[in-house]
Amino acid sequence: MKFSSDEIASVLQAEIEQFDSKIDVREVGTVLEVGDGIARVYGLSGVMAGEMVEFPNGAIGLAFNLEENSVGVIILGDYLSIQEGDEVKALGTLLSVPCGDAVVGRVLDPLGNPLDGKGPVQAETTRPVEIIAAGVAERQPVTEPMQTGIKAVDAMTPIGRGQRELIIGDRKTGKTAVAIDAIINQKGKDVKCFYVAVGQKDSSVAGIINALEKNGAMDYTTVIVAGASAPAPLQYVAPYAGTAMAEHFMFGGGHALIVYDDLSKQATAYRQMSLLMRRPPGREAYPGDVFYCHSRLLERSAKLSDELGGGSLTSLPIIETLEGEVSAYIPTNVISITDGQIYLQPDLFFAGQRPAMNAGISVSRVGGAAQVKAMKKVAGGLRLDLAAFRALEAFAQLGTDLDPETQKQLDRGYRMVELLKQPQYQPMSVAEQVISLYAGTRGFLDDVDVKKVPEFEKELLQFVKDKHPETLKLLEDKLDLSDEVSESIESAINSFKSGWRG
Amino acid sequence: MTEAVKHETVLDTGAEKLGKTYAAALISAAQSAGVADEVVAQLGTLVDTYLAGSDALQAAFASPRISGDEKVRVIDKLFASEFHPVLVKFLKVMAGRDRLAYVASVRSAADELHDDMMGRVVASIRTAVALDDGLRGQIQSKLSETLQRDVRLRETIDPDLIGGMVIRIGDRVYDSSIRNRLDQMSKRVQSGFAQKLLEKFETFTQN
Repeated sequence: MKFSSDEIASVLQAEIEQFDSKIDVREVGTVLEVGDGIARVYGLSGVMAGEMVEFPNGAIGLAFNLEENSVGVIILGDYLSIQEGDEVKALGTLLSVPCGDAVVGRVLDPLGNPLDGKGPVQAETTRPVEIIAAGVAERQPVTEPMQTGIKAVDAMTPIGRGQRELIIGDRKTGKTAVAIDAIINQKGKDVKCFYVAVGQKDSSVAGIINALEKNGAMDYTTVIVAGASAPAPLQYVAPYAGTAMAEHFMFGGGHALIVYDDLSKQATAYRQMSLLMRRPPGREAYPGDVFYCHSRLLERSAKLSDELGGGSLTSLPIIETLEGEVSAYIPTNVISITDGQIYLQPDLFFAGQRPAMNAGISVSRVGGAAQVKAMKKVAGGLRLDLAAFRALEAFAQLGTDLDPETQKQLDRGYRMVELLKQPQYQPMSVAEQVISLYAGTRGFLDDVDVKKVPEFEKELLQFVKDKHPETLKLLEDKLDLSDEVSESIESAINSFKSGWRG
Repeated sequence: MTEAVKHETVLDTGAEKLGKTYAAALISAAQSAGVADEVVAQLGTLVDTYLAGSDALQAAFASPRISGDEKVRVIDKLFASEFHPVLVKFLKVMAGRDRLAYVASVRSAADELHDDMMGRVVASIRTAVALDDGLRGQIQSKLSETLQRDVRLRETIDPDLIGGMVIRIGDRVYDSSIRNRLDQMSKRVQSGFAQKLLEKFETFTQN
């Protein structure tokens, strides 16, 4: 392939001709000291809080602390080549990021610079990173379901479009896996997805991008990365930047899903910056406004009113706990902000129950209204039953004789637990989930060996797909358990069971 | 000659505040004696010539081991004949309060305060080549006209600018240097070209 130099020259010429030079008027200051991603600047007397400033090396900064004699600037980029005495230029605008279709399918840093080597982001519009969330009059209640494709979540802690559902648990309990499955399940549902990686290992982010690509999810997903080696200011702004990009679709009447992985690392980055800025430390040395840092971020997830186009932004913040300590500062803060939480437990995880969701303390405060009717009927008491089963199971371990009623409850419980296991990257449609859970909660599994439950489920679904597609079709159309639908499901299950060798 | 653009002072909020307070006192005292211009100019000479020229004097002024009385004697001996009595008295007051180390910050605060009182502003001008008198006069009158203020010019020469000039008043910079324009043009052309490259990649390549 050869390049045509004439063509290139003519484009350059056109650009140069269009260039009109004006006197550049700017507000400046000088760097007094710099270090740890923070610069103290003398001058900049007219700068606004949160305004962008530029350093001579091209790094962008954010006016963070306005003091009597100086301005504290957080540096969003390379701070090692900034020197004392450098001139700092105020740019006169608040920090903004590119948004729109140009960012979809890209891997970006929190300022919207590409990290995937696919060339510059040609966005026509930008949005300010920090805005005040939509007010009361601009919202409506959450009513539409946001299917994650995970049986346990969709049945017990359903999520609605516009909801904030926290995913919380210790390290290595599958928090990210739940969020990634939710993203993969949005394929073909016209939901734009955003995955914000804060303080994660670059290797695990690469793994996630790889998984998204393999499952065809990168076509509608944007990944915003501020990895573990990124300076604290970048880690701090990453969630806001991702939200700004997602809001573009929400305000355009579309739907978006954003995953913040994870907010405990963002809080740590914010703590580092605040301490370096000499803001007074509070509990666990976090600054006093760390609650506001998260609440103003999560408030921006919303279901907009019909006048505003009815768009929505659903968020799945992730919090990592230490040794199951949910009463630490940041976990309690975020639990109180969000509309429910999915609690993942290490002992369940290692016992092979994946997703390792603890049904007892996982809740969804608004999603119930968004659950499809069929699912509501089939999984209605499931969460409480499962919680009761866990209590009973602990009791049964004492080896006492059990009455048949209790034994039956236990047996049903073991089978439900098996049924709720689900492999990674295999989200299920609502109809499939309903059929599975129908088989479980209505006792069709009671005579199936516990160990064979996953196999039974898999083959049942395959059987229904092959032999009774009309049942799936009917369920997808009605999304309700009318007598007709129930009969159809039951007959399908019965005809499968007659041929089941287990 | 390339002169590095440097800020004058390391930020010392304490010294700055102290300087402002003493400068305000000095200027009002000098004003009531009707010699504000003279005193401010002499304070400038003291800092720029005597203190800058003699490390020993600077050290003596700053040293807490030399008593106030001793410092007063030194001031009398060195400056009584040359400087206005108001300034000499002021220096003695500073000596008595052990603040002589801060004379430089008092000076910069006094300059600023005095300029402000007289309705003057300082404009720093950076040019690639030295200004001639005609141009200097033109700039001065033009700036005075726009700012409605008396303008004092502080000139520096910076060949890196290639051409044009950069005027700084307070924290505001008016930049019409050739270097800045070239920078902007290169940025603009780069981003414009990248966009065109994405839009019509085919036309750029010959098969």
